[in-house]
Amino acid sequence: MTIPGIFLALQMSAEHDENIAQRLQRRDPEAMGDLYDRFGRVAYSVIVAIVRDPAVAEDLVQETFLRVWNRVHAFEAGRGALGPWLLAIARNRAIDHLRSLSARMDRNSYELDLREHPSLFVDMEREVLNTDHARLIQKAIAKLSANQQKVIELAYYEGLSQTEMAERMGEPLGTVKTWVRTALKHLREELGQAVAA
Amino acid sequence: MTCDELRQDYTSYALGIAEDPERAEIAEHLARKCPECVSGIASAMATVTAMSGAVPVTEPPGRLRRRVMAIVETTPRRSWAVVFVPWAITAAMSIALVTIGISGRRQIGDTAKLQQALSILNEPATRDVTFGETERPSSLTMRGRVFVSPGKGVVFIGASLPRIDPGRTFELWVIPAKGNPIPAGLFRSQPDATAVFVRPGPVENAAAVAVTVEPEGGSAQPTTTPFIVTKL
Repeated sequence: MTIPGIFLALQMSAEHDENIAQRLQRRDPEAMGDLYDRFGRVAYSVIVAIVRDPAVAEDLVQETFLRVWNRVHAFEAGRGALGPWLLAIARNRAIDHLRSLSARMDRNSYELDLREHPSLFVDMEREVLNTDHARLIQKAIAKLSANQQKVIELAYYEGLSQTEMAERMGEPLGTVKTWVRTALKHLREELGQAVAA
Repeated sequence: MTCDELRQDYTSYALGIAEDPERAEIAEHLARKCPECVSGIASAMATVTAMSGAVPVTEPPGRLRRRVMAIVETTPRRSWAVVFVPWAITAAMSIALVTIGISGRRQIGDTAKLQQALSILNEPATRDVTFGETERPSSLTMRGRVFVSPGKGVVFIGASLPRIDPGRTFELWVIPAKGNPIPAGLFRSQPDATAVFVRPGPVENAAAVAVTVEPEGGSAQPTTTPFIVTKL
């Protein structure tokens, strides 16, 4: 998690995203092109960073946009955060793919549906997808201890459970849980301070 | 467990790394739309989204946009590339298409869709099942074949599909061994009541596939009784 800039290409415009969402809901095929132009690179970057296979990443990006297309009717165009919703779907597809390869920590589709339900992306801060926020998260991660950085990477890029992290790192589960909770609390606080500032 | 007890695991849950019993408890709170947990997980989702900002940028290939657009292109396009249909698609796909009497090139006129179908059919793990009357088909008997690749996706081929009202659409569902049906894409039949539909992407623990008639735009869960259910 060291190279900045994934959000640089995103010119934030809530009105633009609202317009895209409304057109998707009207089944306007051109809206899919606009959605891809806006978020395709970010989605691909997230997925390929997780699966590390460009061909698989292409399949998963396509599945991500298909999922948005099929579920956009439940999205609140005026209040929902389109980019974060799409990125959550993208990351879930990638992690789910890794899990299917290693047959580990099986999650049912119902739970994936819960975790990426559009209601969780209503009224999300616009700042969450801007470049300043990206820099902030990088700084916040850099402040973590080496072990905390490691568990965050294992969590974000591999979706390992805390038990799996403990096995991978050869550390007691309780210790790993403490690292995870402390690291995530630190990241939340850093981001929360920025939004409030 | 109470919302207070679950709060410290909201971000782990949003990341998909929470473990039982907290994971199951949060899922249960979300399922019953517990306002505190919905709000807390939404906030945690913002943190996870922000973490995406630390991911290195990788330029996608130009063809990816065309693949994404193929999802919503309903009008087959003619292209010179279609003339050079890979042999494998004609070998494997045509068997199924000819069996049930469908012009595959007309229906899958888009090169990207052809490539997706080929990718699914060439997968060694792909399973295929037939439905309807395939032994002695007539123009009136619904019939077809479904190919399911756990890693690549689903190809659905159908003939003599039911007529549906304007404003309605067919919706394909993947039914996992456990859990609710998963929407797998919307499609329409041709004027001759045939359809070929390709849904790329991994298929999660599919035990069966089904097709229902849904309102235009599709549904999150089936709202009508499936008129096709095929066990895999």
